[in-house]
Amino acid sequence: MSPLDRRQLLTRSAALLGAGATGAIAGAIAEAESHSSPAAPSAPEQALLALGDELAARIPFDGPHQAGILTPAQAQTTFVALDSIAPDRSTLEAALRNLSTRARSLTQGDTVGAEELDDPPPDSGILGPINAPDALTVTIAFGASLFDGRYGLQALRPRGLERMPNFAHDNLDPARSHGDLLLSVCAGQRDTVVHTVRELMRSVVGHLTPRWSIDGFQSTKRGPTPANHPRNLFAFRDGTANPDVNDARLMDELIWIPPARPLATPPIGAAATPAASRGSGEPSWASGGTYQVVRTIRMHVEFWDRVGMFEQQKMIGRDRVSGAPLGGTDEFQDPRYDLDPEGKRIPLIAHIRLANPRTPATAEQRILRRGYNFDRGLDEAGDLDQGLVFVAFNQDVQRQFATIQGRLEEEEMTDYITPVGGGYFFAPPGARGPGDWIGSGLFV
Amino acid sequence: MKPGRRSLWLLTAIVVLAVCAFAGSALAPGGSGDARPFAVSELAPRSAPNPLAGRLQKVYGTNTPADRYGTEIADLEDDGTNLAGEQISELSPLPPRAFTPPENEYRAYAERWISSALAGAASLRRALASTDRPAAIAAWESTWSDYLHLGAVYLTGAAATLNQAIDGTPGVLPGGTSDPHFVGLHRIEMGLWTGESLDSLIGYDMRLEGDLERLRGVVAHVQFTPLEYATRSHEIIEDAQRDLLSGMDVPWSGQGVLGTAAGVAATEEVFHTLEPLISGRENTEGEVRAELSMLSGVLKSISRHRHGGYPSLPELGSYEHEQLNGYVAGALSALEQMPGTLETEARPPIPKLPPPSLSEKAAERVAEQAAEGTS
Repeated sequence: MSPLDRRQLLTRSAALLGAGATGAIAGAIAEAESHSSPAAPSAPEQALLALGDELAARIPFDGPHQAGILTPAQAQTTFVALDSIAPDRSTLEAALRNLSTRARSLTQGDTVGAEELDDPPPDSGILGPINAPDALTVTIAFGASLFDGRYGLQALRPRGLERMPNFAHDNLDPARSHGDLLLSVCAGQRDTVVHTVRELMRSVVGHLTPRWSIDGFQSTKRGPTPANHPRNLFAFRDGTANPDVNDARLMDELIWIPPARPLATPPIGAAATPAASRGSGEPSWASGGTYQVVRTIRMHVEFWDRVGMFEQQKMIGRDRVSGAPLGGTDEFQDPRYDLDPEGKRIPLIAHIRLANPRTPATAEQRILRRGYNFDRGLDEAGDLDQGLVFVAFNQDVQRQFATIQGRLEEEEMTDYITPVGGGYFFAPPGARGPGDWIGSGLFV
Repeated sequence: MKPGRRSLWLLTAIVVLAVCAFAGSALAPGGSGDARPFAVSELAPRSAPNPLAGRLQKVYGTNTPADRYGTEIADLEDDGTNLAGEQISELSPLPPRAFTPPENEYRAYAERWISSALAGAASLRRALASTDRPAAIAAWESTWSDYLHLGAVYLTGAAATLNQAIDGTPGVLPGGTSDPHFVGLHRIEMGLWTGESLDSLIGYDMRLEGDLERLRGVVAHVQFTPLEYATRSHEIIEDAQRDLLSGMDVPWSGQGVLGTAAGVAATEEVFHTLEPLISGRENTEGEVRAELSMLSGVLKSISRHRHGGYPSLPELGSYEHEQLNGYVAGALSALEQMPGTLETEARPPIPKLPPPSLSEKAAERVAEQAAEGTS
């Protein structure tokens, strides 16, 4: 490694992890320098530098909204649903505080502290002495069951938070569905996610217990341009028509619960309930949060592979190679359903047409998808147990996701997929700073 | 010496000298003189003028330049598209009326199996009433297997509603196994294998008998489109693989092999009715027959080792399981050709979308810049 490159790595590391961590890296570099001559960096050294840049990416944990929602999807994820076994409200509160504290520390990058030799190490240490942030986000969300009678939270339940129903064609496995909490752990590298899940579980042990989990990965972006979306496991590009996350106004319309405004005249009988935002009817603590829909959708890939290309494309409504709407040439082209009222180009029951009819009336139904592929090995029939962890964020589940899902009951693709798990969750607003934690609004 | 003999000697001497000269040159060390390396091009004609040049300008019947044929046109045709942009098949479409005899034959077959399922449901009721659980389990297996032999009754409209009542699983119902609409064969399956009292299941069986009777009336008049019938020829086993061999639809009895065997029998019947239409069209008939034969063979072998019955999925030996999974996949790979082989229409070309507007192109540039992190 050349002196210049070493300085670069040191500088990046200092910015990344603070002085303590930099000391560790500086030591590593000094060790490397003592064994190498000042030459141009070798290929492995260049790869290490590039990886260093990736590992240095840090996404703030605190803010008006939680990270991991508008954040561009990282390559790796694990979703973990937890149930609370806390005996009382204050124990639950402490567990949630611990969860946020540990999540903040890991997402911002920390060092593995030393302990007495006789004590178990405070961190599993599987990432070495430094837990680099690696664009890690931990998004914490609550299920409807958290608001049952156990902790006196009934009145604070977000208005639209219900147990996810069985839609037509669903075959939900109770052991892979629902839960009091959902953690969405996303990062660039698999080992970062594995480490984070292990540490977070450790931070809440005895109070929150795992119910189900599933690992996911993003397909690699393979072009032809950087803007083209990667493909799902049916080989079609996924995410093309997502609303623009950089459009703050659009996000306010589609994703976030609007800020609470006290009602001029409280409704009769509202004295015992918390202040609600006008119009939305949501409890004030929920403002800035969003509903998270998770659906574990098994995709019968062998069955799909036995379907003719023409039929596959008709079912989806897009060209498999380019991602263009049928008849078009470009992924981002408007499908122009207005020119095709009879469905001669794109069938009326094609997936893209039912999911987003692109009419003024359906504009408010759009959702922000942030799904991941999953691969769970083989099923009993020797088939690949693969599919999509469908994840959608939306302001109003009934207005948005559930309405779209109702339309999709007609699509022909239902034969090739089986939703087997997931649930409805509510991702509260972000923490305001190091003294705050996700869900604190429930305990004021 | 006579003149004739002199000539012979002369000829012989010339031949001997020529042979010696040739052998000598072949055996002599090379590398001298102006010897050039050997090349195949040395043997090729300097040029071979195309006798058709100047006459073949266009692909016959089109305005396509002939010099494009070898590349672009052939590539298009390999993709199943002709010059007009139509999706093409190497096979001429079949007339839809050709499907009438196979469908009539299948309808009669289906009615026979409904009658058999009805008799099974009556036996099941008697076994439940006499609180004989082993007899009830045997009757349930027989009734369910008979019902799955229907296989190709395309489940739309009234038939779909009845199928949900007869063979529906709880996963699709809002209340799951507690849902009041969870009735039929799988409700009885749950009760039989989880130790519920047999008395409590009699009501479900009576409901089942009524639904089967209603289905008999529907099946007598059920209409298939050719595409539905042709598609069903591979979807029956697709469903068996997805729902039965995976164990998904038989969580209590684990009778995925029994159900798959019924599905294979139904597929063989559909294939039998369609053989006159498939015969001579590509190689589908031979491939399907061979693969179905192997699949039936492994099912018979499994059954033979259980004295005519089928093991539950957990009871299946690991090699048997691998064989069954593998032959099911093999059969599906052959059956996937059926709908294409039985095509009844040429697909119209997909209309073209107007090219992207300037604003769409601008939006794409913004997206690309965002993806590159330059904006």
